Amino acid sequence: MILTLLKRELKVARRNWIGLAIPLLFFIIVVSLFPFAVSPEAPVLQKLAPGVIWVAALLAMLLSLEQFYRSDYQDGSLEQLLLMSSPTSVAISKILAHWLLTGLPLVILSPLLAVLMQINYGSAGSSHTWVLMLSLVLGTPTLCLLGAVGMSLTLAASRNGLLVSILIIPLYVPILIFGASTVTASLENMRYNGELAILGAFLLIAIVFAPFASGRALKISVG
Amino acid sequence: MSQSQDIQFDGLYAHELTVSRSEQVLLEDADLHLAPSTITYLYGENGAGKTSLMRCLAGLLPEDHGVVYWNKKPINHPDSGYFQDLIFLAHSLSMKNELTIAENLRFYANLRLKGRVHQKSLSNDISGVLRELGIGGLENRMFAELSAGQQHKVALARLMLEPAKIWILDEPFVNLDQKTRGWLADKTLAFKEQGGVVLFTSHHHIDELPVDQNVGVEHE
Repeated sequence: MILTLLKRELKVARRNWIGLAIPLLFFIIVVSLFPFAVSPEAPVLQKLAPGVIWVAALLAMLLSLEQFYRSDYQDGSLEQLLLMSSPTSVAISKILAHWLLTGLPLVILSPLLAVLMQINYGSAGSSHTWVLMLSLVLGTPTLCLLGAVGMSLTLAASRNGLLVSILIIPLYVPILIFGASTVTASLENMRYNGELAILGAFLLIAIVFAPFASGRALKISVG
Repeated sequence: MSQSQDIQFDGLYAHELTVSRSEQVLLEDADLHLAPSTITYLYGENGAGKTSLMRCLAGLLPEDHGVVYWNKKPINHPDSGYFQDLIFLAHSLSMKNELTIAENLRFYANLRLKGRVHQKSLSNDISGVLRELGIGGLENRMFAELSAGQQHKVALARLMLEPAKIWILDEPFVNLDQKTRGWLADKTLAFKEQGGVVLFTSHHHIDELPVDQNVGVEHE
């Protein structure tokens, strides 16, 4: 059942790829402006890099939330989905599709931005890039999961984009802190296992609770 | 559970149902019985709460009070099988503009039948129904490219492609040409003959479709 839902999500997204490309472009543009605005020198950029890349990733995810359940809610298909399958499986398929279409591309693009921000500078460069990717792999799904809860809670409100941002950003901040500090630790040649473990713990907690919470909230929003 | 009192009614039975929308009570302690092999016409002015009542009977809008039973079991009871048996066609057509007609219809059929359907014969069924509706050969057109009437026909095609025992139809006759109205009336009667339960709304009297029961919703 989840597979049927997921296939549909991906097919709709493929026909609507411009909407998906916008957050990714935003991500690249924001980060690539920093070397121009601040300084192209490696020590300066390296210091900023973890924070800049993570903030940009977070904002790109926030930007993409807009298309989460919205169109299904507006054309009435959400109602039909809830009638024919469980709310939790609707939420799971949506979250999975959303991560595959925004989170995963962010992870794949991040080595490019690592080059722009001089993270890969020096002898340990490639390992820093790997740590950046790893932190995004663990962090972005959590952002998707929390975003899904926020979006499903506010579906019925018009202009819910702003509302979701206010609701969700406080929850995003811990992930931002640990995500960025993972990369910072790696750049300073310190151990970063602890930060990664905490990102992983956030992810596990979110996986357990968020699909269920989002499903319940969908049911309420539709009713 | 004291709710499991003996309900004697087959089909859909709403017991002491109270429904409200935006803090306005639309229906209070109403009993409603839609028996198998009956067609029920739900009438009422705009804003009287026809759609809310339908959404409540479809389990989408939570009731304030009362229970809706399907074959003697509350509809939310896992054994009632209600949501397997129900096709609810709402005012919004619930189709994706980004998908073709066939993709839209196939998705819903697969979702209802949990993928246990022969894809080739499903494609044939889709072509057949679309031909009956006078939009044959448009299977691979994007849903967004169709006219409003054609889009409505695609939504109606679901009734023929998904097995069900109860249809709840919100304004199914709106936007339809004469021929398609006749088609829908015929199909509805055939569904009734097979023991189906039908509840529909309409602003006009539908001459083609004899109804067994009239239910009105009125303003306070």
